[in-house]
Amino acid sequence: MPKRKTILHVDLDAFFCSVECLLNPELRGKPFVVGGRPEERGVVASASYEARAHGIHSAMPTAQALRCFPGLIVLPSRHEVYQERSRRVMDLLRAVAPLVEQLSIDEAFLDVSDDAAPGQEVAARLQREIMRRFGMPTSWGVASNKLVAKIATQVGKPEGLIIVPQGEEAAFLAPLPVEMLWGVGPKTRERLQSLGVHTIGDLARQPVAHLRKLFGLRGVELAARARGVDERPLVTTREPRSMSAETTFSRDETDGVRLERVLRRLSERVGRRLRRAGLAGHTVRVKVRWPDFETHTRQTRLEQPVDQDEELFLAARTLFLSVWRPGRPVRLVGVAVADLCEPLRQLSLFDRSWEQEARLQRALDQLRARYGTNIVRRGFDRQERKSPPAPLQDAQEND
Amino acid sequence: MKVSCLQENLARGLSIVARAVAPRSTLPVLGNVLLSTDEGRLRLSATNLELGITCWIGAKVEEDGATTVPARTFVDLVNTLPNDRVDMTLTVRTQTLNVRCGAFNNDIKCIDAQEFPPMPPVDLEETLSLNVEYLREMIGQVVFAASSDDARPVLTGVLVGVEDGRLTMAAADGFRLSVRESHLSTPGVGPLQAIIPARALSELARVLGDGEEVVTVSLPPGRGQVIFRARDVEVVSQLIDGTFPDYKGIIPNNYSTRTVVSTAAFLKACKAADIFAREAAHAARLQITPGGELEPGALQVSATAAETGSNETVVDATVEGEPIEIAFNVRFLVDVLGVIDTPNVALETSTPSSPGVIRPVGRDDFLHVIMPMHLGR
Repeated sequence: MPKRKTILHVDLDAFFCSVECLLNPELRGKPFVVGGRPEERGVVASASYEARAHGIHSAMPTAQALRCFPGLIVLPSRHEVYQERSRRVMDLLRAVAPLVEQLSIDEAFLDVSDDAAPGQEVAARLQREIMRRFGMPTSWGVASNKLVAKIATQVGKPEGLIIVPQGEEAAFLAPLPVEMLWGVGPKTRERLQSLGVHTIGDLARQPVAHLRKLFGLRGVELAARARGVDERPLVTTREPRSMSAETTFSRDETDGVRLERVLRRLSERVGRRLRRAGLAGHTVRVKVRWPDFETHTRQTRLEQPVDQDEELFLAARTLFLSVWRPGRPVRLVGVAVADLCEPLRQLSLFDRSWEQEARLQRALDQLRARYGTNIVRRGFDRQERKSPPAPLQDAQEND
Repeated sequence: MKVSCLQENLARGLSIVARAVAPRSTLPVLGNVLLSTDEGRLRLSATNLELGITCWIGAKVEEDGATTVPARTFVDLVNTLPNDRVDMTLTVRTQTLNVRCGAFNNDIKCIDAQEFPPMPPVDLEETLSLNVEYLREMIGQVVFAASSDDARPVLTGVLVGVEDGRLTMAAADGFRLSVRESHLSTPGVGPLQAIIPARALSELARVLGDGEEVVTVSLPPGRGQVIFRARDVEVVSQLIDGTFPDYKGIIPNNYSTRTVVSTAAFLKACKAADIFAREAAHAARLQITPGGELEPGALQVSATAAETGSNETVVDATVEGEPIEIAFNVRFLVDVLGVIDTPNVALETSTPSSPGVIRPVGRDDFLHVIMPMHLGR
């Protein structure tokens, strides 16, 4: 029998809001959100618990959130600040637990199986410590595996600490709604509900063979999860699998020249982040969303990995032009680079232009590092300075 | 047609021509092998219109004739037959070939030989003749450097030139260049130039049997074809249209470091590095250190892969010039070191981003140029 494991899951409660409260204590107890501006079609990134009481939740369009509660305070997102606070907490976790898997900016798993103290003691100590040192509330789940620990955290939020003893996983999950399980999205939930499956317990009672017939191999996995079985180990080194940047236009964009400029800026943004991380990628991807929210992605695999702005932009433009017809309004465009790897480049015998472009890129990067991003720009970007460009959003996918 | 031959010879002949068969062509006859009697021998031919291979095998001809047999069926059948005499009789009206061997009796449906593309005429003017052994070696030293990417067709070919009594073959895939020269025993030919598909030359080297000594080359004007003929085989290939890049311009004419090492030791070090480098775009680092008064110079080959681990091998070297660190696709090194037969090899380098040159020490008829790899910033 495998050794009994103790897995902790921690979530920083309403993380962005909790950082904003620390920086401005007057926000305490008030309904507010961090997110994009309603007139720019922003969405809520994080909502304070007071705002949640009015039905506001993250990913909701800010405009809609304001309709839920007209007095709502909307703060712009300050990603670098949150990143820095998150790093401090994660550093503390890494100092205490031998194995830490950071899931996102505000979530992590800890494997403390080898700790002499029981899991709940370690969790309670860390919960106090994070509050004392950083003033941030956290929720904790303690269980024998990742799946159950994460769900325990969700159940206990906010400022919760829920322990699920070994052997009681299935009983703990049974009364919970089925969509709390990983892998049960709206579509699966609908299908399950049509079969009379509403709770995780309902799902656990379904014969595995039946689920297999309905969902294939995924059905077998669902059956195991519903019984609280999850043997995945912690993944301690999570290399990002892609880097991307996208922008939603405050007004749908139809102008080809302006769209191309945005693509160039997005490409430069992704290129800069790749180079800063010392990475390059084989796959370039472009995302386009029409006003009706229909979204298309196109991708291409390049012979050699790309980390140069110009090369990335040319690939992105070709992809964009394969879906876009002149005059068609665009709501959102995004550029991503995936299949990340070391920036190894086989130089060419006959065509030395890549090396020239790389030298130019290096010079530009150095200038920008010293004097700021806007010290040098492409000639045709200069006229654009009068009207400030739309904000770009970064994303880093790990899955 | 009524003809007999040995199963062994028929099987060998079919294995030679089968590589030119085009099984999925819109022209069904290209999936067949032409079988025809030819002055007391049996002739087997296959073509995909770009490459055609013919071979002649000994046979007892009772009645002349020709047909085309579906290659797949025929090859599989002949390989199953016992090593015995094979009797073949064609019924012309139905184009059915009866193949009989020992207790095995088979009827294969064929396509009329009239539908098979015409093969080159017999009375071609010979342009030059070459020693088979030399030709095989030359081909082996250049074909691997040709490109397999059809985006630039000229680079999938080998530039073959004759000038001043010398034959030159050059191939480049955009990252490396291989050039081999040879003196011709028949002076006064040329000058001439042709781009021959690397694949055709590879097949030629494969089908030229050990028994063959001389191969003649014909480049009939205006046909866009090259024809290689030996006693028992013939290879015809379309030439590639276009201009081959000026390769002479990219051969560096000086260097700042010249490193001489044992060919075998360098090759071994590269093969070891590739086990690790294959996960990292085959990039291997070469660190070259000149020797001091007491210790020899060194060539260190190393590779690192995030998942697998790392490797380094130090090879004693005679280093003349500056120390340098340079990275190459290690498979390119393995390819070229594998076709050099001198005990020692010289690597000439200038900067980490300029081409490196590899030459066999003691021979000046071969050189290989490789562009380095750029390792991040």
